[in-house]
Amino acid sequence: MQFSPESESQEPSEKQNLKTLWRSISSDLRAELGDSTFELFLPNFTLTQLEDSVAVIQVPGSGYALWAETNFKESILLTLQKYIPSCEGFRFDITVEEPAPAVKETKLQKKKNKAAKLKERILTEKISDEKLLERGRAAGLVELFTFENFVPGQNSDLAWAASQAVANEPGKTYQPLFFHSACGLGKTHLLHGIGWASLRKRPRSRVLFVTAEQFSNEYIDAIQNNALVAFRKKYREADLLLIDDVQFFGRKEGLQQEFFHTFNRLSDLGRQIVLASDCPAGEIRALEDRLVSRFQWGLSAEIHRPELETSAAILRRKRDDWNMLVSDELINAIVERVQGNVRILEGALIRVAMVKTMTDEEVDPSRLDEILSDIIGGSVSSGLVGLEEIKQAVAEHFDIELNVLNGKRRTKRVAEARHIAMFLIREMTDLSLMDVAASFGKDHGTVIHAVKKVKAECSTSNSTKGTVELIRRRLVRGGSSLESQRARQSSPRKSGGESLDSTRYREKYSG
Amino acid sequence: MKFQIEKDVFQDALNQVQHVVSTRTTLPILSNVFIEADELGLQLSTTDLDVTITKRISAKVSSIGKTTLPARRLASIVRELPTSEIDFEVNEDNAATVKSGPSFFKILGLPADEFPVIGEFGEAKEFTIDQRLLKDALRKTSYAISTDETRYVLNGVNCLIGEGMLTLVATDGRRLAMVEQDLEFPAGNETAVIIPTKAVNELQRLLGDSGELKISLTNSQAGFALNESNLITKLIEGNYPNFRQVIPGAANHRVTIEREVFLNAVKRVSLLANEKTNSIKFAFDDNRLAISANSPDIGEAEESIDVRYDGPRIVVAFNPEFVMAPLRNLDQDEIFIDLIDESSPGVIKIDEPFLYVIMPMRVAN
Repeated sequence: MQFSPESESQEPSEKQNLKTLWRSISSDLRAELGDSTFELFLPNFTLTQLEDSVAVIQVPGSGYALWAETNFKESILLTLQKYIPSCEGFRFDITVEEPAPAVKETKLQKKKNKAAKLKERILTEKISDEKLLERGRAAGLVELFTFENFVPGQNSDLAWAASQAVANEPGKTYQPLFFHSACGLGKTHLLHGIGWASLRKRPRSRVLFVTAEQFSNEYIDAIQNNALVAFRKKYREADLLLIDDVQFFGRKEGLQQEFFHTFNRLSDLGRQIVLASDCPAGEIRALEDRLVSRFQWGLSAEIHRPELETSAAILRRKRDDWNMLVSDELINAIVERVQGNVRILEGALIRVAMVKTMTDEEVDPSRLDEILSDIIGGSVSSGLVGLEEIKQAVAEHFDIELNVLNGKRRTKRVAEARHIAMFLIREMTDLSLMDVAASFGKDHGTVIHAVKKVKAECSTSNSTKGTVELIRRRLVRGGSSLESQRARQSSPRKSGGESLDSTRYREKYSG
Repeated sequence: MKFQIEKDVFQDALNQVQHVVSTRTTLPILSNVFIEADELGLQLSTTDLDVTITKRISAKVSSIGKTTLPARRLASIVRELPTSEIDFEVNEDNAATVKSGPSFFKILGLPADEFPVIGEFGEAKEFTIDQRLLKDALRKTSYAISTDETRYVLNGVNCLIGEGMLTLVATDGRRLAMVEQDLEFPAGNETAVIIPTKAVNELQRLLGDSGELKISLTNSQAGFALNESNLITKLIEGNYPNFRQVIPGAANHRVTIEREVFLNAVKRVSLLANEKTNSIKFAFDDNRLAISANSPDIGEAEESIDVRYDGPRIVVAFNPEFVMAPLRNLDQDEIFIDLIDESSPGVIKIDEPFLYVIMPMRVAN
């Protein structure tokens, strides 16, 4: 089919001619460019005129003209020349702007919803117990710490209930869940427990347990190896992120920044975050305000020291787990004497059990004071209290960490606690001003001032007097200050059970 | 005119205004910076007749006056001065003396009244927007501005205000970048303007990460007021092509890729991109993306990366530079590529209102 520009006999027939001509040209172009491209870039184009050797193509919009000319100029020209040999070029004539076709997102939206459902189904797919164990270990969970092994009590009822809620419906209840307590009261246990319970419910979900220190080390490695993407992927795609000892984030600005973004990302995606710290979020040293506020955003649950009944229940559970032959009465006697964190309680139990197996006779509750003397602290037998015990008792009373008391922070509460501690040490021990000052990292003037101040306050304020008396009474009774044991030992991980090799016992049992 | 000023303040201000000054100019006064000292401090201005930047800084002025001095030269002198306080004095012949510790300079300037006055513009539509938002939006679009001067309407960023949104678009006909930001503005202020490349670059330099800026728009001029600075630019006159016509609708296949990994892989493979076609191939397959380049005279390269994709195998060729440009200027960890088929444009998206359309290269198999 040939078209000759000279044959301009009748106008309607010329239009007709151009139309049929364009039909051929466009079908060639369609074949060359592909259907979708043709539809997208050259829809409703028409050949309207031939001015000498230039073809005029009418296009329905300036956008089409730009893209067609930039991308398909050659194809269009070659095709035109195939049918109109005399054609040397073409130009676009833009008619009315056609509104852009509405973008159809609905299909994608549907797909998304479907994907979410599918994901939930995949996550909850059952797997064998061994696989579960394997996945849990890979996530950094320890098998020992499950909900089944946890002994709840009044001291931890809020934390316990929140843990279960979070494990059942991660990301839907408390975001984040924040535990804080003194050491050895079960924060880590609950974190692992949530991990296991959640994993059992949704075996294919990504659970991740790390300590803040691990997080930090991995972050530093990632920076060094230029592998931040992998690092972020690991953390920002977790379904449940459990972080222990977040107080470690204090004063690490880069790390806080990174964690801030991780936190936001996960919480935007509705993933669960559970954190544990040895002090309330607001007291973590040099933690950015935006992180503090985020930590306090969800639920903050404190775990207190177990009361007698809970302590006894914990020890009975331990006894049964470890198959020890220790009677209930003996356990009651232990918890009466040893109060404090669970590690110390366990240490005491181990020691009693060991004495019993070694001597092969019933341990009389009255002998407990002797067996557990160094765990209970010198206070029981001698009636004298040491510097560390006093510090510990004061720290406990004010619910602050020992290192905070010894540290440099001077918020009102910490300063007050520090003053009372100095006062009591001066009153109750024979230590010199210099000794007391050195133990706080201060000079003796500070101690003099503190003692004076507390004395003055005792005479004017009943509450200060009451506080001082309460701590003093507790110290004299010897019912407190158990953590001092740990502070005195060189290695903080050593529990009472391992320090059995005191010479006294060796002499006694070597014969 | 006499004043004393801190070196850092002066240096920063000169750095911000001096880029406007053109190196080759028929009017010598356009290479100069206009300096006016009044009771409150200094006002610095530079212009190339299209873009004008004005900046106010504080200085201890002991006698007021105005002058113009060679901008680039003044900036390089101030940069090298040894002390933090600089003494400035300009006499009636526009000769400036600069004293800083042991250093002494004398610089010859031109009379201030020869400096072109930038007309205040009257009826303008005004908008207020976060600096960070605008900076981010410009960064995500400006790389796609066309450098082809025959299509002058494309030598800028198209800025549309309407439907409760600010839309920025840049395209050169082979690719298109678009960002949408929510923007509150009074009814009746809907408008569309094209901001020229030079103004876009200067604006990006001025914009900070916090605070707001005020935009004033007329039919021929735009003004941006922020942080004691003021940028006025002529707008490109003409109609920007209707870009929405060529944005593909719903895609058939979506690929999720880690941005950094993708960028680095493309960067490596592109070293051996075909010099004639300047294209490299992207083969999307079941959760894999193989990127390859083949230059008949030089050699070939291939790299494959993990992606999330469960559609059929699609092989498509793109200009590597066009793929890398948005990747460099986004900061998300993950990006999505929406594909229809091998010959249709690909669309890069993120989980924010941004899209980037890129035409595939047609490769002979």
